[in-house]
Amino acid sequence: MTRFRESRHARVAPVACAHCGLAVPAGLVREGEKEQFCCSGCRQVYTLVREWGFDQYYRLVNRQGGVLEPARVTGRSFEDFDDEHLRAEATEQVGADRCRTRLYLEGVHCAACVWLVEKLPAVLRGVDEVRLNLGSAVAEVTWRPGDTRLSAIARALDRLGYTPHVHRAARVQDARRIEDRAALARLGVATACAMNLMFLHGALYAGAYSGMAWAYETFFRWLSFAVSVPVLVFSARPFFQTALGGLRARVVHIDLPIAIALTCAFAASAWNTVRGSGPLWFDSLAMLVAALLGARQLQRSAQRAALERADSLRGVAFLEFARRLAGDGPGAPVVEVPLTALSPGDRVEVRSGELVPVDGVVLSGRSSLDNAVLTGEAAPVPVREGDVVNAGATNLGARLVVRVDATGEKTRVGALLAIVEEALSRKPALLRTTDLMARRFVQVLLVLAAVTGLAWLPRGPEVALERVVALLVVACPCALGLSVPLAVSVALMRAARSGVFIKNPDALERLRKVDTVLLDKTGTLTEGRATVLRWQGEDAVLQFARALEAESSHAVARAFRSCFGRPIWVVRTVEDVVEVPGQGINGRLDGHDVCVGTRALLESEGAFVPADLSRFAETLVADGLSPVFVAVDRRVAGVAGIGDALRSDARRTVAALRTQGVRVRILSGDHPAVVARVAAELDLPAADALGGLTPEAKRDLVAGLVTSTGRAGAIVMVGDGVNDAAALALADVGIAVHGGTGATIVAADIVLTREGVTPLLDILDGARRLRGVVHRNLGFSLLYNAGASALALAGVVGPLLAAVLMPVASLTVVLSSAFTRTFAGAGGHRTVRPAAAESEA
Amino acid sequence: METIFVLLPLALLIAAIAVGFFIWAARTGQFDDLETPAVRILFDDEEPRRPAPDQAPTTAQPSKTTADATRRVPE
Repeated sequence: MTRFRESRHARVAPVACAHCGLAVPAGLVREGEKEQFCCSGCRQVYTLVREWGFDQYYRLVNRQGGVLEPARVTGRSFEDFDDEHLRAEATEQVGADRCRTRLYLEGVHCAACVWLVEKLPAVLRGVDEVRLNLGSAVAEVTWRPGDTRLSAIARALDRLGYTPHVHRAARVQDARRIEDRAALARLGVATACAMNLMFLHGALYAGAYSGMAWAYETFFRWLSFAVSVPVLVFSARPFFQTALGGLRARVVHIDLPIAIALTCAFAASAWNTVRGSGPLWFDSLAMLVAALLGARQLQRSAQRAALERADSLRGVAFLEFARRLAGDGPGAPVVEVPLTALSPGDRVEVRSGELVPVDGVVLSGRSSLDNAVLTGEAAPVPVREGDVVNAGATNLGARLVVRVDATGEKTRVGALLAIVEEALSRKPALLRTTDLMARRFVQVLLVLAAVTGLAWLPRGPEVALERVVALLVVACPCALGLSVPLAVSVALMRAARSGVFIKNPDALERLRKVDTVLLDKTGTLTEGRATVLRWQGEDAVLQFARALEAESSHAVARAFRSCFGRPIWVVRTVEDVVEVPGQGINGRLDGHDVCVGTRALLESEGAFVPADLSRFAETLVADGLSPVFVAVDRRVAGVAGIGDALRSDARRTVAALRTQGVRVRILSGDHPAVVARVAAELDLPAADALGGLTPEAKRDLVAGLVTSTGRAGAIVMVGDGVNDAAALALADVGIAVHGGTGATIVAADIVLTREGVTPLLDILDGARRLRGVVHRNLGFSLLYNAGASALALAGVVGPLLAAVLMPVASLTVVLSSAFTRTFAGAGGHRTVRPAAAESEA
Repeated sequence: METIFVLLPLALLIAAIAVGFFIWAARTGQFDDLETPAVRILFDDEEPRRPAPDQAPTTAQPSKTTADATRRVPE
């Protein structure tokens, strides 16, 4: 006994979790075991990996320099995956007895995951092959329905720490893939033809200089003609399509002058080939197409990572399954079913940490629900029998049984998601700078062509026509067409490296001038979860409280468990734990009676609250925090202030935004008093902190601001919950912070994969730098166009000069884009894959 | 020099075959995922020597592997 007393307050070195390497909380250290684990998820995954002989996984993680996160094992049965309709949405038949299913895996982070997941066929009968795409975290599983079930595969993935989700957006993803492949093929053809044309024309230029036999010259001309046909017919098709589409919609697109140049160059060259004399422009034409397609391909690939992630999440339903109670009575068996299989009146079970899958009424159980995703309320709401619950809320406490009233689109969250889809379809496309310039460009071009034609008409119609063609070819806005995609793709790649995924590059252009930044409160400005913000009392007492709360799954218990950063003491024994619903928890720790809970609970246990702690508790309440008392052996020895902490970078970021002349406002669904307190902490005027807003009110407010501000400045919305998603979609620029729900990632233009709100400043700074680069590029290209047009007007431009001038102009733009440090300030951050909200639970 | 009338079309034909292969590769999705194959190639085919999974009882605590020894212990 004495030995225990001594060692209780002995400081122990932190133990690393055998799976993820994080420190193991004191209460979870098991005596006499070689491997220690920080959570049950890590223990399960580690045991399974060893059991299946996949030890190499950990060596791979080390070699890749990867960092594991604590594993999460849901322990679901995944019976709903065997549902015919659900399976069909993600599955295609391969051959007679095999099919291929796409599953989105949560928790994929590095190359070692690819190895582990693709080793699955070695241990699972009936699984032929698994291919995991690291970028989109989508695994294609080829399996034989005769030998196994999809639920068995899903369970295995779950036990390895990768929560599988049926990936339903296969069609969207396939469409993008087919488009990507076609674009690549077009670029390949254009580049190959351009290179070969350069050789052929090289011979012709040399021949024109030193003389060339007629037979050879004709041969080379016809070959050039033949090689350039695929460029015009196959590769250049998108330019003609957009130009024509623009004309039909009475919009001048940058592709119109390009299409004009291509048509003129090809028609004149083809005619000159047939008649056997006159200049050929085939090389310039092919080079132009190759350069423009190349720049667009670059932008595509820079955007791809962000789009693929959004696609992955779009394919995962926010609410996926329900645990239906089959039959009546308390011991009724639980079956996991897809939501479509539920009908009103069914009873479903909601376990601790899970999302409520339906709108309904609590039949039994008491718990507290986190509604932050739906309403923005930070404080958990207690529920009991007879209370109404909404789909999408997280159950923080004990198991609940809920009667189903509405499912799917008929629920509150279903309606919200429908609003998001509708808002997304309403967002207008941006008239880009280059398109605005294209109109003026085409006008000037036509005038210049007319002037050139008239000026050279006295020398004969043939000469005049030749000069006009020369003008149209060299005045082709190739550099202009390159300038924006190149600058943008460099910015996108740099941004992604610093934890900012830009799905919609238009956002960067819209950010040229920012009028107002609207910030959500819960989860955006604040951490979005309860933490112990303040503590008065001995550290040892706090450790007792933590050890006791480790036994509970209540929101307050999570707050205690997550307060690290203090020395770890060993608590040996935890016995006789009794939870008092809605009040607190009692237990016997190392022979001491410990009670953690409300003042009422402690006083009913016979504990007395000293005056200093009582005063401290009052100041906590005044600051909007909930006091939780801790008593050891009936003596109240400490008070913890629990609340939703402001992010550490929130104050600095808001101040920096305001010094840049940007108006910062808070839009929150939380109670106005709480919002006002946060605004005061951020030094924001009370008028700029709006609380108690419904998701529809947020959306309408944002839409109103966007219309009233017009082109004077952009309205930027930053948020993380389903209740923000519609507002994100309608704002000029919507930004989803890290840890946001899938809906916000789909709705936003920009997705942050870095904690905090500091990236906002990087985005504004990056957009400003990008604007500088674009302007410089536009300046270069217009200068080139003006000079080339003047030369063409003077009649000194031939195919050779054009073939030299155009690449030079393009190269200037390429160099100008490549050596600019947009988004350079924030390199070297560890980025985290955007995760759906359910993974935060 | 007349040979050029044969050689040049031949060269272009070979180029066309190469482009054809490229289009085939693009169309069959070989360029869909440029990230994963790059890491997949790093995996060793040969498994390091270790007891077969069924012969290594998990309770017997096999000797500490290098992986365990080098794991980072955070503060």
